[in-house]
Amino acid sequence: MSTNTRLSIGVSLLGVLALAACGTTGRDTAAGKAPAGPVKGGTLTFAVNTEPSTCLDPHQSPADVAGLFTRPALDSLVSLDAEGRIHPWLATKWTVSPDQKTYTFTLRDGVKFSDGTAFDAEAVKANLDHIVNPATKSQLAAGYIEPYKGSEVVDAHTVQVHFGRPYSPFLSALATAYFGIESPESLKQPQDALCKKVVGSGPFVIDEYVVQKGITYHRNPGYDWAPEGAGHTGETYLDKLEIKVITEDSVRLGALTSGQVDGIASVPPVNVKQVRADSRLTVTTRQAPGGNYNYYPNTTSGPFADKRVRQAFRDGIDFATIVRNLYFGAFQPAAGPISPSTDGYDKTLEGKTTYDPAAAARLLDEAGWSGKDAEGYRTKDGKRLTIRWAFLKSFAREQRDTLAEQIQAEAKKIGFDVQFVSGTVNEWLEKYPKGDYDLVDFSWQRADGDSLRNLFDTSAIPTAAKFGQNAARLSDKDVDGWLSGALDTTDQARRAELYAKVQQRVTDEAAVFPVYVFNYLLGAGKKAHGIGWEPQAYPTFYDAWVEQA
Amino acid sequence: MTAVAVPATRARARVVRPVLVRLGTSVLVLWGAVTVAFAGLHLTPGNVVDLLIGSSTVTPEVRARIITDYGLDRPLPAQYAAYLGRVLHGDLGQSYQLHQSVASAIGEQVGSSVQLMLASFVLAVVVSVTVAVLTAGRRWARAVFSGIELVGISIPSFWAGILLLTVFSFGLGIFPATGGDGPESLVLPSVAMAIPVVATLSQVLREGLELTLEEPFVLTARSRGMSDLGVRLRHALRHALLPTVTLAGWMVSFLFGGAVIIESVFSRQGIGRLTLAAVGNKDLPVVMGVVLIASLLYVVINILLDLLYLAIDPRLRGA
Repeated sequence: MSTNTRLSIGVSLLGVLALAACGTTGRDTAAGKAPAGPVKGGTLTFAVNTEPSTCLDPHQSPADVAGLFTRPALDSLVSLDAEGRIHPWLATKWTVSPDQKTYTFTLRDGVKFSDGTAFDAEAVKANLDHIVNPATKSQLAAGYIEPYKGSEVVDAHTVQVHFGRPYSPFLSALATAYFGIESPESLKQPQDALCKKVVGSGPFVIDEYVVQKGITYHRNPGYDWAPEGAGHTGETYLDKLEIKVITEDSVRLGALTSGQVDGIASVPPVNVKQVRADSRLTVTTRQAPGGNYNYYPNTTSGPFADKRVRQAFRDGIDFATIVRNLYFGAFQPAAGPISPSTDGYDKTLEGKTTYDPAAAARLLDEAGWSGKDAEGYRTKDGKRLTIRWAFLKSFAREQRDTLAEQIQAEAKKIGFDVQFVSGTVNEWLEKYPKGDYDLVDFSWQRADGDSLRNLFDTSAIPTAAKFGQNAARLSDKDVDGWLSGALDTTDQARRAELYAKVQQRVTDEAAVFPVYVFNYLLGAGKKAHGIGWEPQAYPTFYDAWVEQA
Repeated sequence: MTAVAVPATRARARVVRPVLVRLGTSVLVLWGAVTVAFAGLHLTPGNVVDLLIGSSTVTPEVRARIITDYGLDRPLPAQYAAYLGRVLHGDLGQSYQLHQSVASAIGEQVGSSVQLMLASFVLAVVVSVTVAVLTAGRRWARAVFSGIELVGISIPSFWAGILLLTVFSFGLGIFPATGGDGPESLVLPSVAMAIPVVATLSQVLREGLELTLEEPFVLTARSRGMSDLGVRLRHALRHALLPTVTLAGWMVSFLFGGAVIIESVFSRQGIGRLTLAAVGNKDLPVVMGVVLIASLLYVVINILLDLLYLAIDPRLRGA
């Protein structure tokens, strides 16, 4: 259904949410070898499976697809490459004050928004102020610059951004589409108008976004400020770009195989082989950074409050084999809470935990779940070992529902009675903030190790007043300390060290059951070339071109 | 002059009165529909404020302001009364989720749905009348078509849609798979939507035709040398149409419900998908707006059907 995906809350936790889009790095092309080099002209049609129906404006919306839809039209101050390095874009250079609380940006000259407004320091200030303005009701961006104090226009081409405390993830956040710079003129409109149309300085200009249909763009004439690392400079090759919304997997795939669209997002894993075997088509994948698709046990109440029971569930079920079989190798089994492509990933976790049903049985015995009832489930004081899993079937993309059923069957073998509860989003939303569950599942993309803070910091525990992603409800002083330590330093090696400690601790605590690493599966016809990737594994179209018939 | 005028007035009164009664009950139906929708949605779990705020982390002050802005702090009866009052003024309110007024949200989508429903309605009527007239009382044709109809009723619209797409769009490339531009994009979805309707309608029509064909006046007509097809079209069809017309009211609501699936499969814009999303999001104003529009449509169709009865069956007009 809406998959549709119109529920921003449901959406965010279901991992449809992500900090999308950064610099267009044209080095990785999605579609095969170019026969004769890029040609100018033509239209590229791309079909996606979800849409930002509630709001297009990335300053307001948390949906990854809002980032995807607006990235073609919005530039950022800086860009981020696949290795996590920051490059100039609308800002040509920047300095960070010794106390790391002030960032000073020098802005590029001669940039114009597509409505004719000139880009300057005032525009940057207007954008950052717009994001944090309570009236904007920003569901994501504002949270990512939470210590923001204000911006100061030094001169037309210099702007200073002040923070209340050192804040190292600022530049990588700034590189995302959620901090795309919009025309200050268009920001003067009411929020609702911005939800329909955003105006920026990007390589494409939005023609129209029609809910349930898609979005169309045309080339921004005179565009000459692509980020460093893009495949070319100047205007786009394409005359027009069209993104269609086709929610049904089989229909989206059919539209690709029959040549009705040039490319699609989310090739169904089960069809990857079939598409690869088709000589007219290609599939390219890109590993998404941030939180893997994981299961999070409630560490504060229920059976999973006992660490031994958590370990038994994690080690007594062969997650890796189930993932490999179900997805035909399209997704790799996860080893830790965050994906290998995330800055700060700890490789030593790989192989650290292994499938061991005998050890799981011992742990359950130790934890007192030593009895067995007639149906083979473990019991303790006559009570069955029941796990209530808050699972949202209607949002289960990529056969996550089938996966869940297989896990349920495997869990039964080691004595767990796994029950799915909360059928609708609303029921789920009632239970989640209260911690009324034993297990929840989601993926959560973000190209920074700081995503660990969203997943495991005490301040991220969801409550009625504050929606957080710490579904394990883990409150660990050491973890909090390491996470805030990582915010205070821009030394990448030091940050990686701290993030590794967090990953090891949550693994030791069995506060997360890693499942699989999400791969963006992009299908394209052979006539489409140059579809790029931004570091958060979403496609970009600045370097894209189509072979003319 | 008067001799003619009086019966004319009487005849008109016979038409007008039931219509007025209809209008009265219609208002009740509409009021009931809005009330039930309002009550039902408030009884489902989930907090509207949380939905409005989304996944953002806001201060209690912001939360309080949103509650005041949307009038969510007022008692339920007050919210209900306010809503009814606005509806009477033609104001369907503001969507919680879509950042636009309900009227404009529905307005953007309704055209596409109406096109689809009209196309499948016309298609269903033409096909089922043709099938029924050609197969009624004819053993072999009847058996074959009854079988096909049974399949047509049984298959889910979703599956029919995918099947049509696979053959005619992905395979033969005759029609576009998605979208709502131009008549060619209307063909497959309206066929998919019409299938179960045709299957039901032609059965009811055929049964009516077969009953009528047994009537003595049919024998009279035949004895005057009228062709079989002529008898079926000129005499029997008119009789058989009445129960079918009653079904037409059901058909409209069926098509309205079917739009949810068909619009999703064919990635069309429309009320169906709007409703689906609004229900999931607990977007009360939009759901109630759709309920209102749907009930209004249902009521209007039924009034039109009453008039159609009069046109089809002269006995209802007669003294």
